[in-house]
Amino acid sequence: MRSRAGEFLDRTFPTWSLAPAAIIFIVLSVYPILNLLHMSVSTFRTVDGVDRATFDPLANLRFFATDPVLKAAIVNTLIFVAVSVAIELLIGLALAIQVARLRRGKGLIRTLMILPILVPPVAIGSMWKLILNYDFGVLNQGLALVGLGPVNWLGDQTLALVSVIIVDVWHWVPFIFLILFAAVEGLPVDVMEAAKIDGATDRQVTWHVMLPLLKPAISVAFIFRAILAFKAFDEVFLLTGGGPGTSSELISLHLYKIFFVQNNVGYGAMLSITMILMVVAFLLVARQATASGAGDRP
Amino acid sequence: MLDPMAALRRAVAGATLVGLAAAAPAPAAAQGKFLDVGKQAPITILINASPWYAGFEKAVDLYVKQTGNEVNLDVTPYGGMLEKARNAVRGSTSPYDILNLDSGWTIEFYEAGFLKPLGEIDASIKLPEEVLECGNTFWWNADKRYRTPAGGKLMGVPPNCNIHIVAYRADLFKQAGIEAPKTYDDVLAACKKVQNPPGLYGFVTRGERGNGIRYDFSTFMLGHGVDVVADASGGDYTVTMNSPKVLAALNQFITLMKTCAPTNAGSLGQADVIQLMSSGKAAMVQTVIAAWGNYEDKTKSAVAGKVAAAPVPQAVPGQKAGVAIGNWNFTVPKNTPADRQKAAVAFMKWFLTGEAQRAYAEAGGIPVRVDTLKSDLAQKPQFSWMPAYLASIEIGQPTLGFAESAEVEQVMGLRLNQALIGELAPAKALNLAADEIAAIFTRTGRKTGKLPPLPE
Repeated sequence: MRSRAGEFLDRTFPTWSLAPAAIIFIVLSVYPILNLLHMSVSTFRTVDGVDRATFDPLANLRFFATDPVLKAAIVNTLIFVAVSVAIELLIGLALAIQVARLRRGKGLIRTLMILPILVPPVAIGSMWKLILNYDFGVLNQGLALVGLGPVNWLGDQTLALVSVIIVDVWHWVPFIFLILFAAVEGLPVDVMEAAKIDGATDRQVTWHVMLPLLKPAISVAFIFRAILAFKAFDEVFLLTGGGPGTSSELISLHLYKIFFVQNNVGYGAMLSITMILMVVAFLLVARQATASGAGDRP
Repeated sequence: MLDPMAALRRAVAGATLVGLAAAAPAPAAAQGKFLDVGKQAPITILINASPWYAGFEKAVDLYVKQTGNEVNLDVTPYGGMLEKARNAVRGSTSPYDILNLDSGWTIEFYEAGFLKPLGEIDASIKLPEEVLECGNTFWWNADKRYRTPAGGKLMGVPPNCNIHIVAYRADLFKQAGIEAPKTYDDVLAACKKVQNPPGLYGFVTRGERGNGIRYDFSTFMLGHGVDVVADASGGDYTVTMNSPKVLAALNQFITLMKTCAPTNAGSLGQADVIQLMSSGKAAMVQTVIAAWGNYEDKTKSAVAGKVAAAPVPQAVPGQKAGVAIGNWNFTVPKNTPADRQKAAVAFMKWFLTGEAQRAYAEAGGIPVRVDTLKSDLAQKPQFSWMPAYLASIEIGQPTLGFAESAEVEQVMGLRLNQALIGELAPAKALNLAADEIAAIFTRTGRKTGKLPPLPE
């Protein structure tokens, strides 16, 4: 005859066994977010070496309403995410399909393609800053050889964000390529062959067979990359610092300046929450869109 | 992370320095006795990887060699300094015993009570009278919330008093038969005469958004006899950023940059300006004195031996030039153990002696003592910058000496940059800056106000 306590322990054992993982998750994830929420409705002042918070959400909202750079940062971020992710998806997908069709050298190309992801972001920023330098950059030197330029890549309001996007595309196309290449390699060969036996051209196979089958992988690549693009910081920080003017200011960079340059912790936290909400809203829309697209799968 | 190779590097550099000193006949001043600070606890210094760092590192090597006391250096890029310092003072024990703070950051630390007044660590400490005032940024009067020795406590000492100088190509000026520029009008005239873009730009200074343009424009603004606010030391925070004088200064700055600098003037940072001069692509640059070594170092510069220094030019002929001090401050965190605080102050006292300052200068540093700057060193070609530096530093003044400096600098850095790149008309940019700065002071409870807006 087992005791009631023993029965209770048996019954609740799955819950107890999850407790360590749950506690770690709460400590490492939920607590910082709760702390961020608390900070976003507070203003901070340091007295005698101790940081003191005062509950004052209106103060941070006032910053929010009067921030002269925020609008430009939001617009630039949306442009950056839309353009860079779209280009990366198109190039990554095209490369994945083309490389998958090769009979030899796939391994070598895959190895070469992964290199930009392996380069540390600081090195990427420094390297491209040198490449795009107005007076000494390789790119302008090359253009001069063919009688063009020099182009003010990083100092022109219209080109600064374009330059950051170019670097971002160079950096992240391999990421998209690797995801989609694995997906293309995993496609059922018999379906493709059946389409060809039925008289479909290569182009028709790509459009009407491969792409529908690749939709889930494309969705995953798009969502992953878009989330990362919303948070892009290192490239713009190193290349342009958000300038000239506000032409390449992104939310993450603006957040850095508010938090770490101006030491405005309360408003910085409120901006962080805003950014998190933006990404969550994007994810919900993207999930909705991909869920409706999932029905197209054969 | 401390650099594990630092000790080895310092040992090698120290041995080299001492070897050189032994091999060369030492000048009289260098043969003086260095301060004996006795045996001290090991200390760690948070130090920036600025152009003057190499000279400082060699001075530290000398200290270690002479005293046997251990000094670790955490060499950090400028961008990471402030955050490391903020984190250090908030822990239970600071990993650093000396924090090197840019003058713009000091008030945040003074007001918050993170730093230990030096007199509370060592009652005998006082600044040698030969040490430059450097805008008095290392004094803090808590009642006035202002950096001043009047009623203030000594919170730090200066390892470097950065100001601008104009570095110019003496060879090109000689060829063209022109003198060193004394005014910005002279700079413009000389630039037009010698420049040949894109191979040679006439005059370059920083135009990038942020601290770069804000600090480099300050020589123009102060030279017109006006600052951001009316009288910060007297508590009058009326914003004068949009006065007609500042507009004249901004127009002067933009004219120079548009006429003489590269097309990408609005994105030029310190490294770009130094590179343009060192590579022989600029006839004149206005940079901080700390950059001088880059022009004279044959391993880095194509124009070594051809560059001369001139004091900051007058913005208005006949008026005092506007010299903005942007110095560094060695400070001691409150949350470092007492023995290490004492060791930190001992190092500071040693560092400010005439002998140490001379060694620091000989190693490529920028000394902070007048007697070192006026010594026989100034007659040597590699120290030809010293008279120009001294002429400027004596009329230098601190900028943004208030707690809101970081926010105000962000505003100025953006609006000035927008004016330079043509995104905003100068008057519009200054009116916007004045509105935004006045809003900052209103929020923080300062006695503030605004001038009538400039006609746009």
